[in-house]
This record gives sequence, structure tokens and C-alpha cells, in this order.
Amino acid sequence: MKDDNLDNAQLIRRRLLQAAGLGSLAAMLPVLGCGGGSTADDGGVSFAQGRSSPTTSTTTTLLQTGLSGRVVVVGGGMAGAAVAKYLRLWGGSGVSVTLVERSPSYTSNIMSNLVLTGQRTLGSLQYKYDTLASRYGVKRLQGEVVAIDPVGRKVTLASGGTLAYDRLVLAPGVEFIYEQGVGIPGLESAAAQARVLHAWQAGPQTTALRNQITAMPSGGVFVLTIPAKPYRCPPGPYERACLVADWLKKNRPGSKVIILDANPGITAEVHSFTDAFMNVHAGVTEYHAKVTINGIDTSTMTVDSSVGRIKANVINAIPPHRAGRVVTAAGLTDPAGRWASVNQLSYESKVAAGIHVIGDSAGTAQPKAGHIGNQLGKVCADAIVRAFGGLPPDAAPVTNSACYSPITMETASWLTAVFAYDPGTQAMVAVADSFREAAARDGGNFSNMSKWFNALMSETFS
Amino acid sequence: MRLLSTAAWLGMSLLATAAGAQTAAPPAGRLLASNCFQCHGTNGAGPGFDSIAGKSVDEIYKELREMRSENPGNDIMKAHARGYTDEQLRQISTYLSQQRSSSSSSD
Repeated sequence: MKDDNLDNAQLIRRRLLQAAGLGSLAAMLPVLGCGGGSTADDGGVSFAQGRSSPTTSTTTTLLQTGLSGRVVVVGGGMAGAAVAKYLRLWGGSGVSVTLVERSPSYTSNIMSNLVLTGQRTLGSLQYKYDTLASRYGVKRLQGEVVAIDPVGRKVTLASGGTLAYDRLVLAPGVEFIYEQGVGIPGLESAAAQARVLHAWQAGPQTTALRNQITAMPSGGVFVLTIPAKPYRCPPGPYERACLVADWLKKNRPGSKVIILDANPGITAEVHSFTDAFMNVHAGVTEYHAKVTINGIDTSTMTVDSSVGRIKANVINAIPPHRAGRVVTAAGLTDPAGRWASVNQLSYESKVAAGIHVIGDSAGTAQPKAGHIGNQLGKVCADAIVRAFGGLPPDAAPVTNSACYSPITMETASWLTAVFAYDPGTQAMVAVADSFREAAARDGGNFSNMSKWFNALMSETFS
Repeated sequence: MRLLSTAAWLGMSLLATAAGAQTAAPPAGRLLASNCFQCHGTNGAGPGFDSIAGKSVDEIYKELREMRSENPGNDIMKAHARGYTDEQLRQISTYLSQQRSSSSSSD
């Protein structure tokens, strides 16, 4: 079979220019494409080793607020851990919080692309729940919720037990879609999914993708497919393309990284990633927008797409996402069945009273990312604490998104935005003037990235 | 069943409100200021970037307003500050000024 590697430089350049021209328009749009996202693994992955939370576990003397209530939190990712912590910190000792999570520890999607380049270990991205338990008195329950009774206000666990609640918070993260007709054609079977990885939930697949990359020959081809937004941003698709390109440039000369993006253009950090694909990694990266994947043949490792047939050494296909299974199973999603419909003042479901949905599963214009997932946890905790005191939620919540993105193995850029509640549309919208990206990639941003990550994880898990 | 539990819960809430009237409403600015915590630690007391807890209201407010007025360039905080109104910056500053600057949150 003829190898139809694309070298469609003109097309790419035109699309990149289009994308660059869209920069100012994109800056006014409330959707941050780097679809962000927090939260827990919905794939049942468990990890043998987790490191302890980064600080000592001094017990916090909780407030005596006079409030009381029972909250069950499902999912111990960025949003779930934050809401559990702040329910206790702000609600006080009378608010009991049980955190149900199937994994013994959380593995961060943020920074996990650096595992692909060998710059971080997976173990360095794992966080346990010990400190939330010892410092704040969060009750930890390793298990899985299999049914919700919204009328009787209780959940049933896979172990058979039940937990009663006054408020239920669901923070399950995302589920990847592989079914025929919705997912990427050719990846329906478990065997196909084992060959063509997503590595989009940090864990064993991250290590497996690292091994596929290091097994590439010089002059090899790495194909990355990106789904239409909204998708969970971290690990970050464009960031991944950049880091893989940089590693291949240094270790497997002559290789290419071909990016097949379903979106009309680069969805986040247009300036930084346009520069990355056109200049920094010129000759290695090939970016294509508005791409339809007709199918992936895992036996020949060929991608059949609207920009041609591409034979690859490694195909990394990020599937489309929807809300975590516990949310869809409870019927809490919008008519399209993808994301939970929520009141954006409190994240209470519009379908079921007393059930809140935060993090990646919530259907809002805010990015699906851990930094803002943490803030959604705090907005939700505040609303629940107020409700226990007979008060309505804060009428003007504000959240913020921030992320650093490696452009090379030594430099990074950043993206940030503040979101505020708009009473007219009853939705969180970006404050236009705050929606900005770094002027230029540099080493200072790269070192600040570690500082940001450590602060964020410490704030969330300890 | 549900009506009963809702009524009981409402009763509890009312009692709680009466018993702890001063604490039922969260401190002003707390939720807004919690946007700082991801990078500056819980209550702004670290670990993370510069500790921002326990300075005077005026010092924090002045610094935030200056940041907001400057070209962000490569400084993420100058971009971030543009997301807030004067009134919001004042509320954030007031809340942070009342927090302990120690990096321990065991108070």
C-alpha cells in the first residue's frame, strides 16, 4: 500500500493564518476551548502507589457555625476534593461530608504530558485523600455509586450499602465516547482501543503512550486527533503536540507530528500555538483544522480523514466526551445527553433538586479544567452552606481559569480568564478584558508552571 | 416522605439560622477572594506564589489596581486582575487583610 503521508503545507499555512486572524474574535468568545477539566477518573483505573498529600496533616479546628447537614460527594478529582474540603472549612463541624471515589488516589491530568517526554513520573502526579480526612474530617469511602434515589435522598453503593444525604454533589469527570455512530469509527472494540490510545485520563495509558513514542523510529509519524469542543482541556492537545514534537526532534530526527483537529481552528492560546506550529516546531508539526475522521484502521495503522489517508507509527486519538456515567445514568443531562444542566449560581441540577453537578460534567461555558474545577467546588460549597443556613446562593459568583502550557521541553506559555455570572443569560460568561494569553513563551513561564501546579494541588488536596 | 424530610430540614435550617445568626451569612468577600487561593494557598497564606494574607486593605487594593492598569505582557497576574471591578478588588482586599499570614491553616 502506498504511504500517503500528508505534506500539505499550503493548506496548513492558510488555516493557521485563518486561526491567527480569529485571535481577536476568539478573545471575545466566552468559551475557552482548552476544555479544561478536573476530576476523577471515570474509567475505573486504580493505582498501586500514590504519594501522600504534599503537606503535613495538622488538624484544622473547624468553625462552629451552628449549621448541620449531610453531604455526599461522588468523585475525588479537582472539583470533588475542593467541594469536600470547603464544605467542612466553611460549613463547620456540623456539616458531615462523605467523599466516595473508586480510586485510592487521584492522578493529575495537568502536567501529565511531561510523562510522555520523560520529564515527570506518573507517581509524582498522584495525590491521596489522607489530608482531607485528617485535617478537615472528610469521611473517605473508597467505592462506587451505582444508583441515586433523588426522592428518598440516598445513594446505593456497588458494595450494596446506602448513604443518605441532604445534598448530593456529583463530580465524576468525563466519560469517553466510543460507541458506533458517535465515537471515532474503527475504535469501537477493546482491541482497537488498546492499540490506539487516548492517554487522556492520566494513568496507565499515559505510560503506554510514552512507550509507543519511544519505540518510534527516526523519520516516524505521530498522529494526534482532537475532538470538537467542548472537551476536557488537561492534558491539553496542542501542548501534547508541542511536547511530542520537541522530544521527537531531539531523539528521533526527521519525525513528524500531524495534528488533525475537528475544530475550525486552534481553540486555545491561538497566538502561542500558531507560533509553535509555524515557527518553533516548523518542519515537525503539521496542523489541520476542520478535519473529519472517516475511520482508523488499527491493523494498518492508517487514519482515513477529510485531509487524506495517513499511515502512522503512533496514532493518539482523543475521543469525544460526555458527562461522567453517574450523571448520565441519573438523567441529569441536557437534551443532547452530553452535559448536566445546572443552575450556575449553585450548580444544583435543573432536573433534580438537592443534586449538584460540578467540574467537567457541568454544562457551562467555563473550561473543563482543574484550576476552574477547584473554583466550581468552592462556589458549590458556599451555596450548600448558605442553603443549610436558609440563605440563597451568592447572586454574583466569579470564577477563574488559569493554565500554563509547555511549548517546548523548557519553555511555556499561559492562558487565563475570569468568569462572572450574567443575570440576563443566567450563565457564567468570560470577562473579555481578562481573557488573555502570554505574550511569549519563555523559561520563566515554565518554572512558574511548576509553582502553579504545586500550589493548585496543595490547595485542593490539603 | 419527602415532604416530611424537607419540612424537618427546613425547620433545622431555621433553628440553625436563629442559633447562629451571626455565622449564617458567610463573611463578605470570602467566595470572591477564594479565586486567589489556587495560586496563593488557602486564605491566601500559601504555599504558592507571594503570600497575600494579612497585609493592609489599602496595600492589597493599591497593588491589585496597579496590576490591572499595566500591560500584562508575560505576567499572568496583570491579566487576571483585569477580571475584577474596583468594588470587587476592594472586597477581595478586605477579606485577605483579615486572614493570618502564616502558611499554616491550622487556626
